[in-house]
Amino acid sequence: MKKVFWIALREFIATVATKAFVIGLLFLPVIVGVTLFAINLMNDDDYRAVGKIAILDPTGRVTAEARQVLSSNAMEARLASQLRETDSLLAASADLVESLDIGPEFTLMQLSADASIDDEKQYLLLPPEAGGLLALVEIHADAIEAESTESDFGSYDLYVAPNIDDRESDAVEFMLEDAIVNLRFETYGLERETIDRLTRISGEQSITVTETEERETFGALNVMLPAAFMFLLLIGIMGGGQGLMTSTIEEKSSRVVEVLLSAVSPLELMAGKLFGFMSVALVGMIIYLAAGLFALTSFSLFGLIDPMLIVYLFIFFVIAFFTVGSVMMAIGAAVNELREAQSLMMPVTILIMMPWFLWLPISRDPNSALSVSVSFIPPINTFGMLLRLSSTEPPPTWQVWLSIGIGLLFVYVSIWCAARIFRIGLLLTGKPPNFKTLIRWIRAG
Amino acid sequence: MGDAIRLEGVTKTFGDMIAVDNLDLSIPTGGLYGFIGPNGAGKTTTIRMLMSILFPDSGTLQVLGHGSALAAKDKIGYLPEERGVYKNMRVGAYLKFIARLKGVAENTIEDRIQTLLGRVELPDVAGKNCEDLSKGMQQKIQFAAAIINEPQLLILDEPFSGLDPVSMRLLRDQIVAEHNRGATILFSTHVMPQAEEICDHVIMIHRGTKVIDAPIQAILGQYDTGTVIIEPLDVAADTSDLAKIRGVEAVHARDGHVELHLAEGTDQARVMRRVITTLPVARMELSRPRLEDIFVRLVAGGSDEDADELISELNSPAKAPAAV
Repeated sequence: MKKVFWIALREFIATVATKAFVIGLLFLPVIVGVTLFAINLMNDDDYRAVGKIAILDPTGRVTAEARQVLSSNAMEARLASQLRETDSLLAASADLVESLDIGPEFTLMQLSADASIDDEKQYLLLPPEAGGLLALVEIHADAIEAESTESDFGSYDLYVAPNIDDRESDAVEFMLEDAIVNLRFETYGLERETIDRLTRISGEQSITVTETEERETFGALNVMLPAAFMFLLLIGIMGGGQGLMTSTIEEKSSRVVEVLLSAVSPLELMAGKLFGFMSVALVGMIIYLAAGLFALTSFSLFGLIDPMLIVYLFIFFVIAFFTVGSVMMAIGAAVNELREAQSLMMPVTILIMMPWFLWLPISRDPNSALSVSVSFIPPINTFGMLLRLSSTEPPPTWQVWLSIGIGLLFVYVSIWCAARIFRIGLLLTGKPPNFKTLIRWIRAG
Repeated sequence: MGDAIRLEGVTKTFGDMIAVDNLDLSIPTGGLYGFIGPNGAGKTTTIRMLMSILFPDSGTLQVLGHGSALAAKDKIGYLPEERGVYKNMRVGAYLKFIARLKGVAENTIEDRIQTLLGRVELPDVAGKNCEDLSKGMQQKIQFAAAIINEPQLLILDEPFSGLDPVSMRLLRDQIVAEHNRGATILFSTHVMPQAEEICDHVIMIHRGTKVIDAPIQAILGQYDTGTVIIEPLDVAADTSDLAKIRGVEAVHARDGHVELHLAEGTDQARVMRRVITTLPVARMELSRPRLEDIFVRLVAGGSDEDADELISELNSPAKAPAAV
């Protein structure tokens, strides 16, 4: 056991005490930060939709109303109101929207009643400086007043220039819809402001009641929390597994492996490397976890995390790491260089990526047949069960421990198979094995 | 004194290829054995089986009294043929790591490292990265790693390959020093003069089978009584009269010496006395095979019959050296 410890210690120090590790550890948060900053930087706060819009309006009322909508800053007010209704968290954004004069600067041209839409479409292809149109609108005759009390209202057809920005397109639609709805209210003798107030429910509160506390409900966090835990698990396993494979390939290609095998058994070597890289991955995981918990504490959301969830995170991490790590190490032992490992790694990579596809269905319905099945199928059961555990409806305890039991059994099988490949592959050079050969090694080992 | 190594009927195959075939081997404690044979003869496979890195398909194996080297790894030093170091590791850290794996007491490791670095004449490299050392220097470090635990059994697979003559001599001295300390040593080599010089016993395998297992003196003592080697005092002397001596079938001049090939049943002593009366000589001796000659004859000798003949010749009782 002491030899396993020394091997683990060497692997740990050799990995952690490198610039690459520190850079790798900081890389993710830095890249996320830089991306957010860049998006923010690229986000043009002064953006304003500009362009000419031609409207063929058989009702004769929509164009004027649309001009009114544009001139009265009604769009900003409406947008701010919508933001407030969506979520109280966005109230600040709504104030910002209101304070900014970000309304579109459209020039509206009403076409004569006999104008041909097909002829006008040609102007959509011209640049603005040559008199080109941003959009061409054909209002339906019954857009404001329905033909009968039973029939639906008409709408409008919108033709846009090929290079139109989605924000411009949205602004056009927003303007037209606002104008049409205003006119409908007016036509039917209704006061929009009153109806808006009647149909708006604001200031509502959702309180999540737990056994220990009552707190504000954060719907988005209910989905994001499982993702965060799955991410922690994935990043630890991917980083550690990749490191194990690379280090095994290096030891094999630098011929140091036979020196090691003269001092320790292949199983001791494998165990030492697994523990060493697991410690490395744990360091990374703990740092990210601590950062996450710190962030939650800053927003007074620490209560969202059940401490047992963190315990389960570590249990499932160990299971997943030993499973994936032993397989990655066997791959490393079987090949001569990293390039040769790609084809053998493909199935492992697909398995590791699978939780990404299962994240939403499991976190939204953690007790569905799919979710329950996934949490018992190794090797993805660790991810499946962790997603369920961090969801709004955690599974019964017996299911958790059954999943852990299945995971441990699979760890045993993985290490047993990997050890056989590891022992044979380490000393072999030449053509890398295919899956058939690997199976033969497992049977012969 | 028992055997440090004992193999009985050990066979190892890789697919259809028999790497080692029914090999019996015993090396007594304290012996210094050379393990020779052509490439692909099965030396490395045998050594790897001894180290429990590979396992035999059949047969039994004992190392330092244990059924497997796994139980005695801390008492064994091993320098594999395919050896390397952690390139990004410092020499001192590497040796410390290997010492720990070999179970060397923690409080003695530093002293041991310094002593060994001194012995391999690299006293100042402990703080250097392994990759900064030359190949020969790395090889010395690898040797130091192999003996860091003061092994009872030292197995060296091609320890001299890639070394310059000075380093080769240094390594040879260290092997002898380890032997003098009491370690049993088995080393495989292609450098026959080194094997002749330091081994007290030689085992040769060919195509997975043992063909020679004899003390070095017994092998070198098997004089070829059919050839007399003469080094004339005057290198320019006329040696044509030597062909006229009764019993001499042919005279071949070689680099600086002359070989007299005698007819079967010829009395070598009489021929040698006649040579002295015919020509002043600086040196005269009966030809005896070097290990290298045996090796070359075995490997490049051509037919299996030739090899079998040679093997049977080598394994027959040694003939007594003739007196001059």
